[in-house]
Amino acid sequence: MLVVDNVHAGYGASEVLVGISLEVRKATVVALIGANGAGKTTTMRTISGNVKPTQGRVLLDGKPVQGLDASRIARLGLSHSPEGRKVFGPLSVEDNLLLGAYSRLPAFFGFRRQAERELAHVYQLFPRLRERRSQAAGTLSGGEQQMLAIGRALMANPKVMLLDEPSMGLAPVIVQEVFNTIRRLKEEGITLLLVEQFAKSALEVADYAYVIEHGRIALEGTPADLHKDERVLAAYLG
Amino acid sequence: MAVEAVLTTTILDRIYREILYAENKLTMWKRLLLVRGAEIVVFLLLTAIPLEINNAYALGLLTLLAVYGILLIGLDVTVGYLGQINLGHTAFLGLGAYAAGLSVSYLGFGVLGALGLSLVVGLVFGGILALPALRLEGPQFALATLSFSALTVTTLNEWEGLTNGAQGLQVARPDLFGLQLNAQNFYWLCLIFLALVWLVMRNLLSSQWGRAFEALRDSPIATDAMGIGAYRHKVAGFAIGSALGGLAGGLYAFNFQYLQPQTFVYDLMIILLLGIVLGGRKSLWGAFVGASLIALLPNLLSSRIVFQTLSILGFLLAFSAGARCLVKKKTKPFQAIAPIVAMGTLVIGSLVVKNTEDWRQAIFALMLFSVVVGLPEGLMGFASHFLAQLFRLAPPSLPEASPLDTVLVNKPVDGEALLELKNLKRYFGGVKAVDGISLSIRSGQIHGLLGPNGSGKSTVVNVISGLYPPTAGEMLLHGKPLPTGSLFKVSRVGISRTFQNLQLFAELTALDNVMVAMKGVYRSVLPLVLLGLIKEEEKRAQADSLALLTLVDLKDLARSKAKDLTYGAQRFLEIARALARKPDLLILDEPAAGLAHPDVTRLVEIIKRIHQQGVSIILIEHHMDVVSELCGMVTVLDGGKIIADGSPDEVKRHPKVIEAYLGTPDDEAAKALPASDAPLLA
Amino acid sequence: MYALIVTQMVVSGVLMGLIYALIAYGFQLTYATSKSINFGQGELVMVSAFFSLTLLNVGVPYWLMVPGGMLFGALLGLVVERAGVRLALEQKSEGWILMTIILGLFAFSVAENIWGRDDRPFPTPISSNPIQIFGIHITPVEISVAIGVFALMGMIELFKRKTLLGKAFEAVSADRDAAELMGISATRTIMLSYGLSGVVAALAGILIAPITTVGPTMASALILKAFSVAVVAGLDSGFGVVVIGMTLGALESLTSFYLGSGWREAPGLILLILALAIRPMGVFGKASIRKV
Repeated sequence: MLVVDNVHAGYGASEVLVGISLEVRKATVVALIGANGAGKTTTMRTISGNVKPTQGRVLLDGKPVQGLDASRIARLGLSHSPEGRKVFGPLSVEDNLLLGAYSRLPAFFGFRRQAERELAHVYQLFPRLRERRSQAAGTLSGGEQQMLAIGRALMANPKVMLLDEPSMGLAPVIVQEVFNTIRRLKEEGITLLLVEQFAKSALEVADYAYVIEHGRIALEGTPADLHKDERVLAAYLG
Repeated sequence: MAVEAVLTTTILDRIYREILYAENKLTMWKRLLLVRGAEIVVFLLLTAIPLEINNAYALGLLTLLAVYGILLIGLDVTVGYLGQINLGHTAFLGLGAYAAGLSVSYLGFGVLGALGLSLVVGLVFGGILALPALRLEGPQFALATLSFSALTVTTLNEWEGLTNGAQGLQVARPDLFGLQLNAQNFYWLCLIFLALVWLVMRNLLSSQWGRAFEALRDSPIATDAMGIGAYRHKVAGFAIGSALGGLAGGLYAFNFQYLQPQTFVYDLMIILLLGIVLGGRKSLWGAFVGASLIALLPNLLSSRIVFQTLSILGFLLAFSAGARCLVKKKTKPFQAIAPIVAMGTLVIGSLVVKNTEDWRQAIFALMLFSVVVGLPEGLMGFASHFLAQLFRLAPPSLPEASPLDTVLVNKPVDGEALLELKNLKRYFGGVKAVDGISLSIRSGQIHGLLGPNGSGKSTVVNVISGLYPPTAGEMLLHGKPLPTGSLFKVSRVGISRTFQNLQLFAELTALDNVMVAMKGVYRSVLPLVLLGLIKEEEKRAQADSLALLTLVDLKDLARSKAKDLTYGAQRFLEIARALARKPDLLILDEPAAGLAHPDVTRLVEIIKRIHQQGVSIILIEHHMDVVSELCGMVTVLDGGKIIADGSPDEVKRHPKVIEAYLGTPDDEAAKALPASDAPLLA
Repeated sequence: MYALIVTQMVVSGVLMGLIYALIAYGFQLTYATSKSINFGQGELVMVSAFFSLTLLNVGVPYWLMVPGGMLFGALLGLVVERAGVRLALEQKSEGWILMTIILGLFAFSVAENIWGRDDRPFPTPISSNPIQIFGIHITPVEISVAIGVFALMGMIELFKRKTLLGKAFEAVSADRDAAELMGISATRTIMLSYGLSGVVAALAGILIAPITTVGPTMASALILKAFSVAVVAGLDSGFGVVVIGMTLGALESLTSFYLGSGWREAPGLILLILALAIRPMGVFGKASIRKV
């Protein structure tokens, strides 16, 4: 569903990614783990078009999307829940969710009706969001914002979803809750690329995993393979 | 009298020492001739013209050129060096002009006294406007200066008792020391002022001040964090630029001998901006070329043939440059095509339009548009690329590095609490990034700060270093309250930091990056800086900075621009720059992030060396091996709270730490761990 | 009697202030999406007014001219965005300040040469014979200004709150990168904001023209005050712009009453410098959080 082929990218003169290749098959959860500064988030941003690759290809459902604008790629069926959540602070929770489905809803009227099914689905996953539907997103707690960010990404019914560091800045109990949600989504058959600092938790939900080091893939395999390899742990704790 | 004598001897003493410091005489002369040759030739030419050509009109143009030159050099400080669009420069021209005119008629000032007053008026009003306005950025600053300019014109217009309002003010031109200032003499006076301004500004801009201006453009945050003070430099720069505007105003008044408030409106401002942009920003030569162009422009437009030729030439230039860029795909298509369209319009206009004078503003607009889009560095910026290739000059040699011990003076370590945090909190909206942290950092320690991403480590150091004020809680340094919410103030009390996302001064060299932050070397007062008598300090700062660059193994790259260094070298450079503050406490925010393994090893060595000099360190780090090797104490954060505290070994075994790093509190996950002293954190 | 005169002054000042507010509101629209404003907005007001006058002169009925002029304003707004703003935003520079000034200068010169330098009357079917309400004289033209300002601002605010496109507009203002991830094109949203800002400026021109007459310099004083209003209120708040606009209008009218009409410009400028000194982010503005 998603193929990243020898992608190079960076900011200005410094190149962060030096040839990343990975693949996410339909209805699988793939984890991308590695130390801080290894290039995980840059990989995600490059796939979704916030960063333009200098070299290499990104295929979404077989179609090349590298170099397109982020909004274009989103409309082609990729949704990205970014690092640091990035909810639209001044807007209400429900508006945030509706905007998640922006690319397939009518721009002026009747959009709420068309989004009803997805909205119900997200509210069922995260009942807390239903309670706070008319509250400004910026006033939510960190955990609630993370739920909102995931919910917002789900609203688009994406072909592939990217989820960047869902555990960042959250208390352990909440992290646990987030991972439970990911498991549920996996049962529903989502196609997910997950970046996580907690390698163990990530490996527990993933079908396949890549370890990234200094902008290239150092290691890959099923979680069972990787568990045996001490380098995995070394990669994210140094 | 006594003060004067002391001042004179100081200056003489300085000059004497400057000569001693000059390198090999021969290379000095060679450099002087090559670098300064053009300046001398142009100056001599300008001086000689009136001797040959005795034409009142030409003389008027030349005088205007000199006045505009001073005016534009002043404007370039804000527009070029500070990078802010200043729409109020004509106000200072006007204020200076009226100050000169009125002081002659009401107070009986002489020419020099009146000009001095113009300068002071520009400086004072510039300072008054800059203090509030420079807390703003971008559009708000432009709007504020524009409004100031409008207010000035209104006041000059309405205060009829003083300025004679819209009727206009006659200005007498007194004699200068008995010398009658006829047009020719007055021109030479203007030229002398231009040369003086040129020399003084060159000294200023090549000093620590110029470096600070550059630094501020690249990273205002780091400028504050390095104790340079972004705001005070901006205000000072703006005030100096305005003072030159005032001085130019004084000369303007004596030149035209008749003033009207309506002269100093927006239209003139646009012409000045045209000059700066056409000539090239951040360059004295650019300002000079710009001044020549705007002084000559009205004449170029009045002759139809000249104007047509010029616009066709401009079009051809835009076309060839644009086509080349399009083929090479060097720039965005818009950047290549828009100037061609604009210049094409100008050519058509020049052939069709009957009276070019009526279309003056549209013509300016088209030319400005083409230059801003297609030639953003201006004519001199464009030319300097070629000149730099033609005359390649080796940079002056660097002094020997100072011994490290004289730069980082070894401080006695008493093991007492250096920094204490008490119940520190920082919230962002509903997110509790730091939620009640109490911590004590002992002097002489390397104190590790650990925790998963988003656990609040960076927020803690951002609060300590003054980027954010705390929501609640207390911070004590040496038992005294630490300033809050100001990077600048915190930096001044002895805490220095690096940044997780690099905040280098990208356009400065590695050496300049360190020099601009150097504490305790630059002591000279502004007048000495303006006179250029600070070479001794410069050498000292260079030597000290080289010592710090040696410490981080970057000595050989001292002349490279920061943006051209490798990622690892940039990280090390940030450490050297932070050390230039000679801090009691150094905060390293994830210095190993993104480093390759050999670099991590070097980093550990460097931190050890710094620690040996008695600097206490807070180290935020993810690499546990780095932390184990370096830190005496470790504090682990999670969810904005402290979950463990102790020696690295204790912390590694702490159940809460293991839990935080795994994110799975249940027993099953604990079982999944290999052993209790797991390789997990090894 | 004296109180009545002062009230009269305040009321006509407030009505004038609404025009400042409307133009400043146009700044706020583009600032929200792109952190940029059109420094040539005054010329946009003026050129739109001239264009509308030309429409009237060629026989277009008044009520058709109004949408026609607004459409023309939208077009000009788009031209400004394309020619003056987009490149600078892509380069993350503040070059747009200079570029929009340049475009304004060009528009001014062209207008001067096409329509001449003289001020011309702007015919309107709305009567300018004052009517008396509670002893205060007020003309239907002035009332039409108030109605027009509130109607347009109300419609745009409704659009922002009630339509998905409007919410997308707010999303781009809040976090441009995240909005892109939702499939919202920031470039198009910025275009939209410049288009709307052009509509707003054009309407301001059409509304004020019967009072000030139409000429190349009709907007130069107006725009300075709109700038002041935008900065004093802060560029984040549409509501603040209206409040400050009306306040400034009232202050001006009182100043010219007490000090003479030459000082009319002063309160706006002084208010601006005061606001900068005391609250630089604007009275209704939000302080931004610095990030590293």
